[in-house]
Amino acid sequence: MKAISSDFAPPLKLISPFFSSGVVFYLLSMLALLFFEPSFSYEQMNVAGWVHLFLLGFVMMIIFGAMAQLIPVVLEAGHAVVDVYYVIFPLLLIGASLMVFGFWLMPGILPYGGVLVLVAMIIFAVENIATLKKTTIRTLTIETVAWSNGYLLLGILTGFAIALGLSGNLDINISLMLKAHVYAVLGGYVVLTIIGLSLILIPMFSLAHGFEERAIQRAFKLVISGVGVVFAGALFSQEWLMYIGYAINTIGVLFYIWQIYIIAKLTVRKELDIWAKSMIFAFGTLIFSILLGLIYFLSGKESILHASVWFLLLGFISSMITGHLYKIVPFLVWFERFAPLVGKEKVPMLHEMYSKEGASMMFNFTVAGVVLGGVGLLFESNILFKAGASFLFAGAIFLFIGMRKMLAYGK
Amino acid sequence: MCSITKENVFDAISTVIDPEVGFNLVEMGLIYDAIIDENCNVHVVMTLSTQGCPLHQMITTWVKEAVERIEDVGEVDVEVVWEPAWNISMAHDNVKQALGGM
Repeated sequence: MKAISSDFAPPLKLISPFFSSGVVFYLLSMLALLFFEPSFSYEQMNVAGWVHLFLLGFVMMIIFGAMAQLIPVVLEAGHAVVDVYYVIFPLLLIGASLMVFGFWLMPGILPYGGVLVLVAMIIFAVENIATLKKTTIRTLTIETVAWSNGYLLLGILTGFAIALGLSGNLDINISLMLKAHVYAVLGGYVVLTIIGLSLILIPMFSLAHGFEERAIQRAFKLVISGVGVVFAGALFSQEWLMYIGYAINTIGVLFYIWQIYIIAKLTVRKELDIWAKSMIFAFGTLIFSILLGLIYFLSGKESILHASVWFLLLGFISSMITGHLYKIVPFLVWFERFAPLVGKEKVPMLHEMYSKEGASMMFNFTVAGVVLGGVGLLFESNILFKAGASFLFAGAIFLFIGMRKMLAYGK
Repeated sequence: MCSITKENVFDAISTVIDPEVGFNLVEMGLIYDAIIDENCNVHVVMTLSTQGCPLHQMITTWVKEAVERIEDVGEVDVEVVWEPAWNISMAHDNVKQALGGM
């Protein structure tokens, strides 16, 4: 393995806007939850608005910032054109905001927001593919990066078709296109990316070594093919094909959880810091989400599906992201401001760069919020759902303050 | 004849701290060997706790600079190897204890 040049690391000023605005979108998403009822349909415009606020504004924004930093680590090669991230950021910021306003207030501006997001994601995917071409290494994680970018493009194209359909400019079956869109973006891009990156990051932060990788190899292959099968089923209106895809995906994710269990058994670092607690909660909610998903398929009860998706988004995906923010952001700030001072003066440790109490408050409020909100959705209890949303909002405030302090550390 | 010993080199490298775990590279067990020739040129053989470490190049520079601070040292070069792969059994007991591995 070749040395990873520090020249490959993009500057903090390029990455930090993704993280700081991603956290603002998270805060707004949690605030917006206070105005929702626990019974709803996925085809409601206000629900679609919230999903885009959360997934585009928070999840995608943070993933893009993280990928700017992590792609060189994974590929052992510098970005093809790292400066494109200066263009991607405003496009995604404005595009996501327009789309949310479009869903909530003015459907007519949806295509404009959609175009900006489409352009941002095409630039992102093309830059990633150009960077992939610079490396000769072909690990499974790298192949996953390539596949996830392909699914991202498919997801955006179907999303753009939906935006045109909603504004009356294109005659399509919106319901089917919506399923293809959700699966390509959520399963094909977000979940695959999280699986791929967590295979790099979790052993790195837990100091786990010498583990078998057969389970994760199966997980990657199954999730990649499962998403493709669901996407094809939705596109060609073949519901039976979609069910096969769901089953393949579920088995793939179970292999992923098994791999994480193997890594966890070999973990050297036993301290329960904010990252470790977030990982435990993330995987606990992922397992619970799968269980609820299976119960939904047996019962057909819509509220169980809502709770399953809730635990997947706000439990698993959110905790994976927020937990890693407390590792990645201090590292980036340290790398920029303190690494040049090593050997010359005393420099802080990474864990000293954020408030442990603030991080604990964020975690405790978030856990309470996810559990209460999930139970509220399950039993369609407005009071429990609102209580959960309130706790989540409180947790988001602590995350927001923590992020600002981390980014300002040593300025 | 060179008066620099392997111990001098390890002592110099022990000033380099991994900012993530908070221990120096020697007590982490990341420094495998230091070969010193008669002209006081030093060849450090080391590893890292993870192959994808984003601090790879920076850590090797810190090690080189730390050894270069030894009086009368000649050329210093640092080689990063992945065999044998690092594991916690290579760390000093205080590290194992602090990380919860004991």
